[in-house]
Amino acid sequence: MSKFPCPLRCLLCLSFSLSLSTAVWAAALETPVLTGTTPEGIRIQVFSELNPLAINQIHSWHIRVLNADGTRLQPELSISGGMPEHNHGLPTAPQITGTLDNGDYLLEGMRFHMPGHWQLRFDLSVDDTEQTAVIDFTL
Amino acid sequence: MRRLLFTLISGIVLGVVSWNYLSLPVSRDWSASEIALIKSLSLSQLPALTPSPSNRVADDPRAIALGHRLFFDTRLSASGTVSCASCHQPAHMFTDGLPLAVGAGVGSRNTPSLVGISHSPWFYWDGRKDSQWSQALAPIEAGIEQDFTRVELTHFLASDPVYAPLYTELFGDLPSLSELPPAASPAGDATEKAAWERMDPQLQQAASRVFSNVGKALAAYQRQIQPAAARFDAYADSLSATQGSTPSSVLNGSEIAGLRLFIGKGQCVSCHNGPLFTNHEFHNTGILPVAGELPSMGRYDGIRTARQDPFNCLGQFSDASASQCTELRFARDSNDLVGAHKTPTLRNVTLTAPYMHSGGMPTLREVLEHYNEAPVSMLSHNEAKPLGLRSVELRQLEAFLQTLTAPLNTDPALLQPPNR
Repeated sequence: MSKFPCPLRCLLCLSFSLSLSTAVWAAALETPVLTGTTPEGIRIQVFSELNPLAINQIHSWHIRVLNADGTRLQPELSISGGMPEHNHGLPTAPQITGTLDNGDYLLEGMRFHMPGHWQLRFDLSVDDTEQTAVIDFTL
Repeated sequence: MRRLLFTLISGIVLGVVSWNYLSLPVSRDWSASEIALIKSLSLSQLPALTPSPSNRVADDPRAIALGHRLFFDTRLSASGTVSCASCHQPAHMFTDGLPLAVGAGVGSRNTPSLVGISHSPWFYWDGRKDSQWSQALAPIEAGIEQDFTRVELTHFLASDPVYAPLYTELFGDLPSLSELPPAASPAGDATEKAAWERMDPQLQQAASRVFSNVGKALAAYQRQIQPAAARFDAYADSLSATQGSTPSSVLNGSEIAGLRLFIGKGQCVSCHNGPLFTNHEFHNTGILPVAGELPSMGRYDGIRTARQDPFNCLGQFSDASASQCTELRFARDSNDLVGAHKTPTLRNVTLTAPYMHSGGMPTLREVLEHYNEAPVSMLSHNEAKPLGLRSVELRQLEAFLQTLTAPLNTDPALLQPPNR
């Protein structure tokens, strides 16, 4: 049988999973998969655990919000989306579940279920003003 | 005058018939985006089966062997005549050829194929189960299926000289039987429910633990049931990424025309996408309910049931951490899911008639005609729109669907009952 006792095996598995996950994110954080800008100039950058984006796989995003001068912002943020031509929304209900040490938002539960034109809407509340960035892309 | 009228009418009739039944010349060239879409449907693009974090034995060969036995064993039923394989028959691509499943009684749903279904995050037509192991539990206790109880199951495993050691090697000791009633379940008939209520909570939990472990072994076996490459896959893989001309030896003209409709005018690929020809999602496409029954609420109810299920990914019998239960935690439950049912795979679809969740369509032709018409849904709204396809185009689509048929990519020994 295995030369490692069970707790050690579990620990090895866990550290392997963590290092794998870290490696996935390190690569993902190099280039945003989606970018958008509000009419007022606030920029949105989406870094995806699944890169390139693909259908039928649930995954997480890191979302970065930047001022026009490149400084990070942490506004209230909500995300919605869907396929305008098919008149339907996202197949899941993704949520922002936390803020990372670098100020990026963690969004979990994103999945797309059809090839074609998708549209995402990022609603931000900055200094009591509402701003919206719309990102169109094709899968 | 009469002759002119005759000629005119004949011309119109001939025109209508020709329009419907004669194929038009179809281009055999694909654009780069069409090629990318076709290649995305190839089985060669199917990702490796993702781990099942809620089932720690999902890929354990011992669990596969145990699940194989359990799957074919009719002793897991009140009558001793019904097993999982009674409805999920390997010879029918793990369906039964019937409109509605028949176990201890007649069910209210068509038996879905199990081929490749382990890639799906949701189970049952209405997605009321979030894992394959949790799904495997329900038929065992359903009165119209195996009509067994988890306590009878515990007695059976403990008393059987073959099962007892296989179980304990994987999952540890079985609970002491002395305090267990002969039969009891929270999902049983009135007597079985009353017996369950009288049980000590710790005993209840012990019996439910055995029950969940049986589901996990059954899931391990079912994860082995995978599709193999069909003629379509050979065609898709043979296409060069940039050159769109099509080798005619793999698919004939009618099949290629059907593929063009499938990814284009027919809009089939909107839902039947990816290498398994399903997006694993839920859609209301105006399917009539079983005769005499009200339409099902579909996924709208299914997700609510899944959230309440003690055997879900977040429950005490799951081996997953909460962070691994992303599908359940971020599932949508909005009103547009009323009447929505799961998109089934189209692999081997020619071998899994009759069709749809209510089993009401005996042939693929009827399915195609339904989508061509896109009738008003009895409940909520039909997401599909009329397609306006001609008769010959429906025939071409049907020809294309024939190219998705292939034997299974499964150890042949697993397609037979094991030796006792």
